[in-house]
Amino acid sequence: MCCSGRVDDAVSPRTADSREFFPVRTQPLVVSPVSNDSPATGVAGADESPHSEASERAPTPLVELAGVTKRYQLGGTVTALDDVSLSLGSGSYTAVMGPSGSGKSTLLNLVGGLDTADEGRVRVADDDLGAVSESRRAEKRGTDIGFIFQTFNLMPRLTAVENVALPLVFDGWDRDDRLDRARTVLDDVGLGARYDHKPNELSGGQRQRVAIARALAPEPSILLADEPTGNVDTETGAEIMRLLGEIHERGNTIMLVSHSRRIAEHAERIVHVRDGRIEDVEEVSDLAATPASGDDSRDTRRGRN
Amino acid sequence: MEFREALRIAARSIRAHRLRSGLTVVGMVIGIASVVVFATFGASVQAAVIADIGETNANNVFATPASGDDGPPGRVSGFGQPVFTEIDVETLREQEGVEAVIPQGIVGVSTMAYGDQTIAQRQATATVPATFTDDSLVSGEAFELGANETVLNEAAAKAFEQNVTVGSTVKLTLATGETRNVTVVGITSGTRGGFVSGFGEVTPRVYLPVDPFYPTTVESPSVGADVRAYPQVTVVANPNAVESVKQATETYLTTESDAAELLSEGAEIQVQTSGDIVETIQQVINRITRFVTGIAVISLVVAAIGIANITLVSVTERTKEIGIMKAVGATNRDTMQLFLTESALLGTVGAVVGVPVGLVVAWGATRFAEVGFTIAGEWVVFAVIVGIGVGVVAGLYPAWRASKVDPIEALRYE
Repeated sequence: MCCSGRVDDAVSPRTADSREFFPVRTQPLVVSPVSNDSPATGVAGADESPHSEASERAPTPLVELAGVTKRYQLGGTVTALDDVSLSLGSGSYTAVMGPSGSGKSTLLNLVGGLDTADEGRVRVADDDLGAVSESRRAEKRGTDIGFIFQTFNLMPRLTAVENVALPLVFDGWDRDDRLDRARTVLDDVGLGARYDHKPNELSGGQRQRVAIARALAPEPSILLADEPTGNVDTETGAEIMRLLGEIHERGNTIMLVSHSRRIAEHAERIVHVRDGRIEDVEEVSDLAATPASGDDSRDTRRGRN
Repeated sequence: MEFREALRIAARSIRAHRLRSGLTVVGMVIGIASVVVFATFGASVQAAVIADIGETNANNVFATPASGDDGPPGRVSGFGQPVFTEIDVETLREQEGVEAVIPQGIVGVSTMAYGDQTIAQRQATATVPATFTDDSLVSGEAFELGANETVLNEAAAKAFEQNVTVGSTVKLTLATGETRNVTVVGITSGTRGGFVSGFGEVTPRVYLPVDPFYPTTVESPSVGADVRAYPQVTVVANPNAVESVKQATETYLTTESDAAELLSEGAEIQVQTSGDIVETIQQVINRITRFVTGIAVISLVVAAIGIANITLVSVTERTKEIGIMKAVGATNRDTMQLFLTESALLGTVGAVVGVPVGLVVAWGATRFAEVGFTIAGEWVVFAVIVGIGVGVVAGLYPAWRASKVDPIEALRYE
């Protein structure tokens, strides 16, 4: 089942430059890292990117939601998302913010292929998630999408390296290749000394780093983070956000869900969600983004290896 | 997902719950081992019986009177009626392919004394010297007709505090009250001409020559004079002519013989080779073995339910892990494969441990029953296949449940 050719493809880019750790997926993205005046995030109708007229071909956004509605049956019908349209460009950093029950987690689950929309279309990296088979969605979760959860969700009996290598198991990587890859990613998130520790031997911040490394291991097109700092103290939370910022700077696309403005401000733009609808899309100025990270010197020391 | 990786993950989760997995495996071991024990013990007994009859008496054709209804062969009602006269014995001896004809009759005895010791001995077997072969005689030789001699089997020779040896004299008190001193001329380990003689080795037996000891006579219809008549005759055939001798014996005995005339109303002469008897015994033992092994299979079913139960618990307990695996790319098939591998692994371990345990217990049982050890190969294979199959089947439903777990719900599960 394992195809060595594929493994080589995935692994080789990093050998060129060991710092260049989170290479951008090249296939679907034509949009170069988006600048502030040409947001790749648009609301209802703001389809494609403003570049479309200038460039020869209209670049397809990495993530595109069109008229997405999701309802749950909980005693009565609850509409979690109501006709939501949104697109995320490759390399963008978007925060989805809103109170509990606003539908922000549902939005994340739809983009992450954990759930399917009742109406509308969810496209992620060239695939209509509602149209593909369940097993194709599962595959995409393992290759195109990286999840980071509030509660870390690490496998309790697996070591850090094995946790990070888990998505690669289901992607058919060879054992040695995937453990190598896992160690490299762990090194990069600053956990080089914790390869063989089990989750219960790690602190909250370290666990979240393992989870981030796991999300990055298959070189996904997009990272989805659901309240990534919700289970750690403020200081550790700042470290995590700093790490996510670094990961974004290396060209990765991130979609973050949070109820906290302080966290959401780390992103380039904030999508405000309330009662299953997008209320507003706010561009975050560079000025606003920095102060929230708190004690900078400390972050720098810890964030680096 | 690679099978090797599934195996690794399954083994890890089994090891994480040693006690629970261990108990499940014990259930499986008991199931598999009991199938192996009963099947192997049955096969051993069967092999021992067949070896006893088959080896010593393969070319024997037994003739006995039996009741005429369609009872199972070997049935003994009517057994004991002395219908085979000396005339019949002589005639049979002249048939082609016959090596010897051995009539056997019962001489009533009350006691046997040797030295100062007297033991009860209910009966003696009156027969002819041809009943002993060189192979069966442990020491000494066969008696001669008309002599005051006897041959004892090993059990009879050891029945006294001091072992009886060739050349000793024992004192027999016959049922008639008469006392005879007879010289022991041979010790035997068995005879031919005995009906399933292999069973009798532990019973003391005393063999006497028909002349002068066998008292039963009838008037022969063919010669009109009183001659000895026996309840049982064994025709020892040339090994290449067993079937034709059987045919000829049957034809003669049921038509022109004295026996046919003397036979009481409703009875008939039954002629069987040892092959027929072996077949019958084999059938009976087979049926018993299958019945008992069938009962053992019930314990396998119970073990299967144990595996299903434990895998279900495992699925529930690991709901969150299933959610995590699905979130990082595990397909429903991967999930199913993981749990099936786990239950199949439990079944396989049960089979791998159960087979040797079963064989050891069966070996012990054969020692206890004093029969040779014969492995019921096909049943062992059956047990292993069933063990692994049971693991897979028992894991199917839980694995299916696992594959249907909703990842969002599962991730929320604590």
